[in-house]
Amino acid sequence: MDTFASYHPAALLGYFMAVLLPAMFSANPALHLLVLLGGLAFWALLVPGRTFAGDLAFYTLLSLMIAVTNPLFSHNGVTPLFFLNGNPVTLEAVWYGVDMAVMLVAVLYWCKCFHRVMSDDKLLFLLAGTASSLSLLISSAIRFVPELKERIARVHQAQKAMGLYSSGSYVDRLLGGLRVFSAVLSWSLECAVETGQAMKGRGYGLKGRSHYALFRLRPRDGWFAAVTLCMAAAVVTVMARGALTHDFYPKMTGLSAAPEALLGYAAYGVLAALPFLLEAAGRCRWHLLLRRCARQDTGGEPGKDGVRWTY
Amino acid sequence: MDVLELEHVSFAYPGGQQALEDISLQIRQGEFLVVCGQSGCGKTTLLKMLKPELTPHGQRQGVIRFAGQPLEALPPRVSAGEIGFVGQNPNTQTLTHKVWHELAFGLESLGCPSDVMRRQVAETASFFGMQTWFRREVKELSGGQKQLLQLASVLVMRPRVLILDEPTAQLGPIAASEFLASVYKLNRELGLTVILTEHRLEEVFPMADRVLMLDHGRKLLLEAPAEAGRRLRSTAPDHPMLAALPSAVRIYQELDTADVCPLTVKEGKEFLSRHFLPYGEPEAPAQSITDERPVILEAKEAWFRYQRDLPDVLRGVSLQVRQGEIFAILGGNGSGKTTLLHLLAGPREPYRGKVLVEGQKTRSFAKGSLYRRRLALLPQDPQTVFLKKTVREDLREITRLMGTPESELEAMAEKLGIHGLLDRHPYDLSGGEQQKAALAKVLLLQPRILLLDEPTKGIDPGAKEQLARILLELQQEGLTTVLVTHDVEFAALSASRCALFFDGEVVSQDAPAAFFAQNHFYTTAASRMARHLYPQAVTCHQVSQLCRSHPKKREEATA
Repeated sequence: MDTFASYHPAALLGYFMAVLLPAMFSANPALHLLVLLGGLAFWALLVPGRTFAGDLAFYTLLSLMIAVTNPLFSHNGVTPLFFLNGNPVTLEAVWYGVDMAVMLVAVLYWCKCFHRVMSDDKLLFLLAGTASSLSLLISSAIRFVPELKERIARVHQAQKAMGLYSSGSYVDRLLGGLRVFSAVLSWSLECAVETGQAMKGRGYGLKGRSHYALFRLRPRDGWFAAVTLCMAAAVVTVMARGALTHDFYPKMTGLSAAPEALLGYAAYGVLAALPFLLEAAGRCRWHLLLRRCARQDTGGEPGKDGVRWTY
Repeated sequence: MDVLELEHVSFAYPGGQQALEDISLQIRQGEFLVVCGQSGCGKTTLLKMLKPELTPHGQRQGVIRFAGQPLEALPPRVSAGEIGFVGQNPNTQTLTHKVWHELAFGLESLGCPSDVMRRQVAETASFFGMQTWFRREVKELSGGQKQLLQLASVLVMRPRVLILDEPTAQLGPIAASEFLASVYKLNRELGLTVILTEHRLEEVFPMADRVLMLDHGRKLLLEAPAEAGRRLRSTAPDHPMLAALPSAVRIYQELDTADVCPLTVKEGKEFLSRHFLPYGEPEAPAQSITDERPVILEAKEAWFRYQRDLPDVLRGVSLQVRQGEIFAILGGNGSGKTTLLHLLAGPREPYRGKVLVEGQKTRSFAKGSLYRRRLALLPQDPQTVFLKKTVREDLREITRLMGTPESELEAMAEKLGIHGLLDRHPYDLSGGEQQKAALAKVLLLQPRILLLDEPTKGIDPGAKEQLARILLELQQEGLTTVLVTHDVEFAALSASRCALFFDGEVVSQDAPAAFFAQNHFYTTAASRMARHLYPQAVTCHQVSQLCRSHPKKREEATA
């Protein structure tokens, strides 16, 4: 069940930018924490629990390392906690390390979400709008690489079954590998000539190329984009007015709790939690639908028709 | 109305090699034209000349008109959209990595507006039943699906002429029939003009309105199929293309009757019943052949799967190949035949059971010694065998490896009839020539057992008969051959024993006559045609011989 991923690619790209840019261009730990929580919650819905737990353990370790490393190398700040080899380890540097770790892990999680949500179809669709030949190039490259690998494997196997290039020595194997590779390359070039002809045959190079819209803008995309835009605008305005400014060095300024700042946090919180909320809402709705269907069909026994609903 | 007109068209490649000579031809709207001829007769050149984007460089004479307009004067938009071309290899023609994008490509080039494109793509995909794989990646599709996608992505531009150059050469028989049926459907239901070349004429011959037969770049025949079948023998009694004609036509040609030439199995069956008397027991006599020759290659209860979690590909295969026989393993695409061959050849091993080469496990051979003077595998794509710039260099690599003199190389080339090809680049050879050159390379390893994977894929009937002849000659010299194929006719022609491979097992094995006589569907066209009269006859030659010795009296035949 991909409620979130089914929005229009342009809206999704806009969303990812709206959620990541404010966090990356501010030093406000609250924003970083919010974006991390939003990313974590969404990722938890995308992958099975076991994978999620494994990931989480790894990233916790990573963030601990970052948090510890920063105060060891950065001695800025005015509140020394203790001295290590004659260098002060400051409270500010510790907090800064923690904040950096939080932001880095958050960005990594969002990148994972981005990768999962934006399939290559969507990326190429977006690219085709601006640079159609580049999009085409990438599309054929995606095809070419596995094909090349497969050809190499086939030639290698054929040579092996003739007892060639399979002796134990490394030199022989290396030379054999090179020979196979060069042969496959010329084979591929041979094929590329045919591909080029096929492209021409289907009118490639004519003026005024258009592109097929695999994705259509629907009303729900409009709503989604509007919410994203409003929240992002609110956050940016509050940021621009300086209500979310925060400094670690030389002394931490503390987070403002003015109503304006709270508004900024709230808006950013909604923005960061949006994928999670939409995805969760989609699933709830699906659950309710299923239950209603089951009540109507079988008198309250779900899945009696042998169909297992999975999402 | 004529869609395409050719007036005294000749063509020569830059090297001066004459490819076409004085071809004149009118192709009517809605016609189904089959162009046939041996490899290198110029049929591909002719087809490529009809599509301006693909016209090869060279010297052309004469005029080609599309809808009354000379091809040179045709706007590129018209020639791209209205003349559709589908080539031989679906893999090299695929331009993008997704099915939907492949379909949309042509319309994108033409700059179609979005809603028009959406409609045309949708209806084309529906027509071909592609809705379930519309969003899939092209590489996940089967060969038949890929070629169907090529057809669809040309048709989405709504061409007026569809040109197909050996579109089924890379497909198995089932996928090939399905593909051709789609083309025929387009011709019948949309009145689309189709120009098609094919090696396997069995199916396309009856579909054609007219057949154009080329011989060394010249027009040999241009007739309705039945007439072409009748005329070819009288104009050129020893023409190699006789072997390429459908079985019904070939049997008809060998018999002297004053009747209409049958084209399909059904017509052939009626034709035989009209003119000939039955002979032979309807049931094949159950005979067990006791073979005294030693077993040279053996699989004992071999089980195999590619990965632990994947299903079994081989489920307890047992088979014995005796010295000096040609053992053909038949089976559909994806049934695991190739896997079985790889198991027999050693690169893969069964996880249960064993494979014995000359009584020894494949694993127990010292590195490489299995492939020296013992066993050799010729893979499906002969292209994968060559690594050098000329055939000679490739062959010399083996003679050097084996420590045999250069004269051996020459002798082998002589034997396989590839002497003229030795100094050419392997990729410049035709399918049949490549196959022979690859065979030469493998044979120079002096194997006692030769394993062949789909040896007839993409080669013309003449080359196929030649290959069968070579295999039989090698058999005389004591070579044992195991071949996997889906080509029933080839197996009937060459094998001394046939086995059917299905569902991971060898289901039945027998001598070809008994094997095909007992099969009802999975047998040669000649056998399907004549089984009600001559249950033991499998090849066209056998049928016509039996027919000649059992004619009906003239009055009976007319009654």
